[in-house]
Amino acid sequence: MTEPLKPPRAVALRLHRKLMPIWSPEPGLRGWLSTNNNNNIGGLFLIVATTFFVIGGILAMLIRAQLASPGSAFMGPEAYNQVFTMHGTVMMFLFAIPFFEALAVLLLPGMLGTRDLAFPRVGAFGLWVYIFGGSAVILALLLGVAADGGWFMYPPLSSAAFSPGIGPDIWLLGITSIEVSAIAAAIEVVVTVLRYRAAGMSLSKMPIFAWYMLVVAVMILTAFPPMILGSLLLEVERAFGWPFFQAENGGDALLWQHLFWLFGHPEVYIIFLPAAGMIGTILPVMARTRLVGYGWVVAAAVALAVLSFGLWVHHMFATGIPHLGLAFFSAASTLVAVPTAIMIFAWIGTLWQGRPRFELPMLWLMGFFATFVIGGLTGVMLAMVPFNWQAHDTHFVVAHLHYVLIGGYVFPMVAAIYYFLPLLTGRSRFFKLGEIAFWITVPAFHVTFLAMHWAGLLGQRRRTWTYDEGQGWEVINLIASIGAFAMAIGFALVILDIVVNTLVARPSPRNPWGAGTMEWAVILPSPAYGFASIPVVRGRYPVEDDPDIGVRIARGEGLLGDTSRNRRETLVVSTLHGEPSEVAVLPGNSRLPFVLAVATSTSFLAPVVGAYLVAGLGLLALIVVALIWAWGLGSRVDEGLVDAGHGLSLPVSSEVPDPPGWWGSLLLLLADSVHFGSLLFGYAFLWTVAPNWPPPSYLAPGIIAPVLAGLGAVVLAAGPRLAASAILHGRSPWPGMVMAGMGVSAFAAAAASVVLARPDPAGHAYDATLWLLAGHVGLHVVIVTIMLGFLTARILAGFASPRRIGETRIVQLWADFTALTALVALGAAWLPGAFG
Amino acid sequence: MREVIRLSMPLTVWLVSFSALYGLQGFVCAAGWAASPGPAGLAWGRLLMLAAVVVATGLQAMILFLIWSERLGGHSGFMHRTTLTLAVAGLVAALWTFAPAAILPTCDGEGWQEGVWTGGTGGNKMYR
Repeated sequence: MTEPLKPPRAVALRLHRKLMPIWSPEPGLRGWLSTNNNNNIGGLFLIVATTFFVIGGILAMLIRAQLASPGSAFMGPEAYNQVFTMHGTVMMFLFAIPFFEALAVLLLPGMLGTRDLAFPRVGAFGLWVYIFGGSAVILALLLGVAADGGWFMYPPLSSAAFSPGIGPDIWLLGITSIEVSAIAAAIEVVVTVLRYRAAGMSLSKMPIFAWYMLVVAVMILTAFPPMILGSLLLEVERAFGWPFFQAENGGDALLWQHLFWLFGHPEVYIIFLPAAGMIGTILPVMARTRLVGYGWVVAAAVALAVLSFGLWVHHMFATGIPHLGLAFFSAASTLVAVPTAIMIFAWIGTLWQGRPRFELPMLWLMGFFATFVIGGLTGVMLAMVPFNWQAHDTHFVVAHLHYVLIGGYVFPMVAAIYYFLPLLTGRSRFFKLGEIAFWITVPAFHVTFLAMHWAGLLGQRRRTWTYDEGQGWEVINLIASIGAFAMAIGFALVILDIVVNTLVARPSPRNPWGAGTMEWAVILPSPAYGFASIPVVRGRYPVEDDPDIGVRIARGEGLLGDTSRNRRETLVVSTLHGEPSEVAVLPGNSRLPFVLAVATSTSFLAPVVGAYLVAGLGLLALIVVALIWAWGLGSRVDEGLVDAGHGLSLPVSSEVPDPPGWWGSLLLLLADSVHFGSLLFGYAFLWTVAPNWPPPSYLAPGIIAPVLAGLGAVVLAAGPRLAASAILHGRSPWPGMVMAGMGVSAFAAAAASVVLARPDPAGHAYDATLWLLAGHVGLHVVIVTIMLGFLTARILAGFASPRRIGETRIVQLWADFTALTALVALGAAWLPGAFG
Repeated sequence: MREVIRLSMPLTVWLVSFSALYGLQGFVCAAGWAASPGPAGLAWGRLLMLAAVVVATGLQAMILFLIWSERLGGHSGFMHRTTLTLAVAGLVAALWTFAPAAILPTCDGEGWQEGVWTGGTGGNKMYR
C-alpha cells in the first residue's frame, strides 16, 4: 500500500464498472423491496426515522398548545392522554433508536474499511419490520385508538380492566416487533465490528464510533429482552387473563416496573452512547487534532454501559422501597457521572489541544455541551432520594429527560448529519439556512425546558391534561409553549436545509473535512460496493497516515480487488488483531427480507384484532420463508482456499467451523438467555414480594418427568456434538442426529407434563408462571426440532462435509442452550413441589 | 473474543453482585431475618448482608489482582490497559455502591420499623 502512484486513473474506473453490477440494487421500485445494500437500507432507515421524528414533534406541539393556558379546551383528556403517550413512544422507540441504527448501517462499513455489514439481509428485514410495526402504532393514533397510559404503560392502568380498548395491544405488539428489529440490527453490528474490518485494523485501531456501537449493540441485546418479556406478560394477561400483574391472584404490578426499567434505564444510555460516539468522531476533526484519551474514552463507554444496568430502581424511588434499596440505587446513580465526566473532559481536552473551527457541525456540538451538562447535573439531583421524592412525576423530570435526550442525543445527531452530508449525498452545503436554524433551535430549547424545570419545582404534575388558574404556572407554561413552537420552527428549518442541500448543493470534494478515518477514503457519495478493494491499515487514522490510500484502494491495490468470482465478497478478520482470516460471501438482492418482515409483522399484529388464525398463518409463513432463506446459504461443494490478493489464500466463511451465522446465533442466544434470566427474576420476584403467595398448591414433579428431562439434557447436548464430529471425520452423522431427536422429544414430554398437571394458568400467577416456563421449553424444543429437520435435509442434499460443519455447529449451539435452560426452567417449576 | 470477554468481566461481575445483593436484601426482608437476633447483637439478616458485601468486594479485588498480574492472560497493550482500568472501576463501584449495606438498616423504610413491617402507604406488605 505504500508504493508510488503509477497505474492510470482508468484502472480505478474499470474496477468501478466491474463492481457496480455485482453490488447495485435492482432498478426501480422493485429495487427498494429487494435491496440489502447498507447505503440503501441505512438511507431508508434514516428517512423513516426522520418522518417519525416529525410526527413526534407534531405531537409535542399539540401537548404544548394544550398546556399553554390553564383550563384549555384545545384537547380533552382522552385525546391528550393518547397524544402524550404516543409522543414518548414515537420519540423513544420509533425515532431515537432507529435513527442511530440508520447511521450505524450507513457509516460503520466505511469506518471499518469493509464493504457491507455482516448480515445485509437481516438489516433489510429489520428495516421492514420497523416500518410495519411503527406504521401500525401511528395508524392507531390516527384512528383515535392509540394507547393512553403513558409511554411506560404501567399496569394496572394498562391492564384490560382499566384500558379495555385495543390501544395497549397495538402498543405492546407493535413495539415488541420493533424491538425484534433492533435486536436484529444489534446482532449485525456486533458481528460486523468484531469480525468485518479492514486488514490490520486491530481493536485498538478501531474508530471510536465503532467502539461505541459495539457497546450499544451489546446493551440492546441485554436490555431489550426484559422489556420483550414484560410486553409478553402484559399482553398475555390482557388477552387470556393470566394474572402476572393482578395482586388478587398472586401477581404484582411492580413486576412490570422492574422489567420495564431494566430495559428503560439502559435505554437512556443506548440512546446517548451513539451520540457520544459521533461527538468523539466529529469533534477531533472540527478541532483539527486527534481524540484525547482514546483508551479512557473506550473504558468510560464500557463502564457507563454496564453501570447503567444497575440504575433501574431509581425510577421507582417513590414505590415504598426500604432505605437500603434506595441507597444502593442512589449510589449507583451518582456513579455514572464519573465515566460521563471522563468523556466530557476527553472532549474538552481535544478542543484544548486542537484549533477548533466553528463550522455548522461544531455549532451543534457546542449546543450539546451547553445542554447536556445541565441535563447531567439535574440527573445527579434526581439521583438524590429526598429530592427525587419531591420532584417525582413533576415537570422537572420531563425537563431533565429532554435536556438529556435532546441535548445529549438530538443535537449531536444533527451535527452528525451535517458532518456526513458530503459522504451520504456527495454534496457540500451551499445554502446557509442551517446556521439560522441552529440559532433558533438551541436558545428556544432552553427557553422551553428551563421554564419546565421551574414549573416542576413549583409542583406542576406531568401527564395531566390541564391545570387550574391561580397556581402560578400560567406564565411559565406560556413561555415554555412559545419556546417549543420556536424550537419546532428551528428543527423544521434544519430538515429543510438538509433536503435543499441534498438536492441542489454543489458536489463535494473527497474528504472535505480533512478527516483521518477510512469512511472518507471513498469517492462521494459512497458507491454501493463501498471500497473497490479492502484496505490494509496500520494506524487509527489511516487516511491521515497515507492520504493516497483512497486512490490505491480504488485501483484494487487492497485485498479482494479481483472481481473474477463475480459475487459480493468482503474480508473477515481475527477479532483482536484484525488479521485476515476468511472471505465472506454476502448475499445478492433478494425480496426474502421483505416477505419475512410481512410474515413476522402479521404474526405480531393480527392478534390485536383477535385474528389468531391469521397470526398462526403468519407464523407458519415466517417459518417457511426463514427455511427458504437459510436453504439459499452455503454450498454443495468444497471451494477450498481462495485468492484474497497480496499473496493471501483464505477459506470462504461457509468452510470455517465458526461462520458468521454461528456468531449471529451466539449473540441471539445471549439475548435469549437474558430473556430467560428475566423470566426467572420475575418468578422469584412474585414469589418473594407479591401478595397472595404461596399458591393454593404446588406442582408435584413425580419421578418420570424429571428423569425424562435429565436424560433429554444429556442426549440433546451429546447428539449434535456427535453429529458434528462424525461429519468432520467422514463418518455417518445419523446416530448423533437421532440422539438429538430423542433429546427434544424427552423435553417436549417433560414440558407437556407441567402444562397438563396445571390446566388453569389464569387461576394464579404461580400457574401462569409455570406455563411460561413450560412455554420457554416448548418454544426451544420446536426451534431445535425445526433446525434438526433442516440439518437432516441439508446433509442429505450434500451441504455438509468435513470442511463445511458450520451449520451443524450452529444447531449444536442451539441444542446446548435448549438443554441447559430447559433443565433450569423445569427445575424451577418442580423444585417448590419437590420440597413443599 | 477472549479479550472482549475479559474487558467486560470486571464490571459485569459488579453488576451480578449488585443485583444479587439487592435480591438478597429482598429475601432477607421477606423472610423476616432482619429482625431475627444473631451473634454480637446483630440481626441474622444484617450479618448475611455484611458477609455478602465482603464476598462481593473481595471478588472485585481478586479480579483486579488477577488482571493486574496478567494471570487471566491478555498481554495486548491497549486491551490490557483498558481492562485494568475497568477492573479498578469495578472495585471502586463495589466499594461505593455496597457501602450502604454496612451503614443503613437492612429493611427500614416507609412502613418498616427495625426490620418489621408496621404499615404504611407505599405499597403491599412485602419488600419491593
